[in-house]
Amino acid sequence: MVRTKAYATAYGRFAIAVPALAVPLLMAGAAPCAAADPLSGQEPQVVTCTKCHGDQEFLSGFTDTPAGETTLYVSDSILAGTRHGQFACTVCHITYGDGYPHADGAETLQCQGCHQPEGADWAASIHAEAEAVGDAPTCIGCHGGPGPHEIYSASDRRAPTHALNVTASCSRCHADPGIIGSYFGSAEEAQARVAVDQYYRNVHGTALARAGLAISATCDDCHGSHKVLPSGDPESTVHRDNVVDTCGSCHIGIIEVYEAGSAHGSAYLAHERGDNDVLAPSCVDCHTSHEMTHADDPEWFLGISATCGNCHEHLWETYLDTYHGQVTDLGFGLTAKCSDCHTAHNMRPASDQNSSVYPMNLVDTCGRCHPDANLNFVKYYAHGDTHDRHHYPLLFWPWLLMTTLLVSVWAFFGAHSMMWVAGVAIERTLRRRGKGGHHS
Amino acid sequence: MRSKLASSDRGGGPYVRRFSPLERMLHAMVIVSFFGLVITGTPLLFSHAPWARVMIRLVGGFQAAAVFHRVCAVITFAYFFIHVGNLTYRIIRSTDKKGFFWGPDSMVPQPKDLRDLIDNFKWFVGRGPRPQFDRFTYMDKLDYWGEFWGVAIIGGSGLVLWMPGLFALFLPGWIFNVATIVHGIEALLASGVIFTIHFFNANLRPEKFPIDVVMFTGRSTLAYMKEEHPLEYKRLLREGRFEDVLAPPPSPLVYRWSVVLGLIGLGVGITLIGLILWALSQWRI
Repeated sequence: MVRTKAYATAYGRFAIAVPALAVPLLMAGAAPCAAADPLSGQEPQVVTCTKCHGDQEFLSGFTDTPAGETTLYVSDSILAGTRHGQFACTVCHITYGDGYPHADGAETLQCQGCHQPEGADWAASIHAEAEAVGDAPTCIGCHGGPGPHEIYSASDRRAPTHALNVTASCSRCHADPGIIGSYFGSAEEAQARVAVDQYYRNVHGTALARAGLAISATCDDCHGSHKVLPSGDPESTVHRDNVVDTCGSCHIGIIEVYEAGSAHGSAYLAHERGDNDVLAPSCVDCHTSHEMTHADDPEWFLGISATCGNCHEHLWETYLDTYHGQVTDLGFGLTAKCSDCHTAHNMRPASDQNSSVYPMNLVDTCGRCHPDANLNFVKYYAHGDTHDRHHYPLLFWPWLLMTTLLVSVWAFFGAHSMMWVAGVAIERTLRRRGKGGHHS
Repeated sequence: MRSKLASSDRGGGPYVRRFSPLERMLHAMVIVSFFGLVITGTPLLFSHAPWARVMIRLVGGFQAAAVFHRVCAVITFAYFFIHVGNLTYRIIRSTDKKGFFWGPDSMVPQPKDLRDLIDNFKWFVGRGPRPQFDRFTYMDKLDYWGEFWGVAIIGGSGLVLWMPGLFALFLPGWIFNVATIVHGIEALLASGVIFTIHFFNANLRPEKFPIDVVMFTGRSTLAYMKEEHPLEYKRLLREGRFEDVLAPPPSPLVYRWSVVLGLIGLGVGITLIGLILWALSQWRI
């Protein structure tokens, strides 16, 4: 009873998964399956197949491929622990020729015969597109470790798709200049060629490779496993309209804040909905895609304010006129950067009560560095424009007064000095001509 | 006798005293502190300049520079108040108050200074004789009052920036913006005047080139006094006080070090003003 039910379940899964055309095929090959329940552990066919296919010496008479390299050789030890190890051979090898050897007429079920959604995703991916041109990763290319029979679950440490192995697996092509060069020739695609190198130096890569942290983001966590698409494709997980959700799938606390009303997050969501044309910064605009570091990395946090300045040009310029900006400009990280006052992910306009720069919150915000900040203190212009007479008359007039003084004093006495030299020259010339009596 | 490099020591003859030991010490404090302030301050003012990062690191980073800047500020306040204290003492002790303020030894600008300035311009263009100066010329007074004004303005704004918490107790925060503007531009004015105008008037003009160490040794030759301060010489003779200012010549050691340190100072100052002008040429006005 139990056995029948188990079989029915297995059969049902196949029937759903396999495309309509393949169903009669499977039905035809169903006879051996009926005798060998793939889930029961009793596999008379395996025993039968491995009688020859598990005998390396015997197989060497039928193939030129050296023993140990041929995929004809399938032993119990190879299959043990693999994802398909419990299946009968005939689940995948649906037909084979009569007699021996039976390569003629042999037919193997495509992986997508069972793994239909994954197959469909792959077929829509850039990898499938690449396959039409030449070699590109197919199922076995990524999952086979090393042969087609050693398919392990991605959670299995031995699997090429395990978190700690997957970057190396992708690198087999993506870090090989010879292979990649043929696909990513243009300058716009140059990013793809250095991505792996950058990854191993970024915060995700170091967590993975140096700290051995398997939960760190690997290639497939961001790019997807099967439906890998270039970032320009609207369906790509790393397209700018999707990338926040992609990062947010791990960085839950950040996406919450970002999307809960921050200036960038609100504009981003509005653009996603098609409500505006503003390309608000998504995660990668500030953090980059493959070069992201810890936020306290000096090189990064010194550069990030300048990154903000790419869009907030005037605020960046006026910031550079302040002590905060000057010290940053000199390459020191101690004084306030953009994110120290505006926060990194919850930046809001000063008119927003929840903003760190809302007037009533300034004592707290400034107080994080200046413990003695009070209501007077926070009347400081963090972005005062000295040259803006209308908005900052208190800065403009002292500036004009001091500059006028500087220029006039320097110009007057500069002229005085230069004329003095001329005066001495005139005097000496006259004296040489014997008219020194005029000048004494 | 070989001609001396320093104009203050040329011509041989007896030496006359020009500056007191206290004045020489105060001037040395001005030199040391002012160079310190400029070297630690200009990298901030011109943070975009290519040399700014190098200079701030040479002094040990911006935090070290901040400490050094404040140490130099303390020296500045010290010489300022020592001078004001000494001046007050001398005013109180003076029996001739009018002569103290309006006599030839006073730094108070007087009608003759304006006449000298005009006469000098006439002489520059060959339209009159060179004006004759007494003990202090109008250029000396410019340096003196420039220093006085500069210390008050830069020192005051610097104090505000030094102790923002204290000043925020009774002043609004934009005072820090104003203090930054005033401090920076006034510092630029001070550097500009000292490293070009003062250097020229006191050292580099043809009559004195390349250096005049009277402020270091405190004394000059009589020939120098007759050329630079003829009215003072005549006045001292007339008043019968010439003997009072006679002084022994500076020891060779003092003279030599005065010239060496003076030339180094000139070199540093000219380098600094060169860097400032380079940075200014790239400044967004």
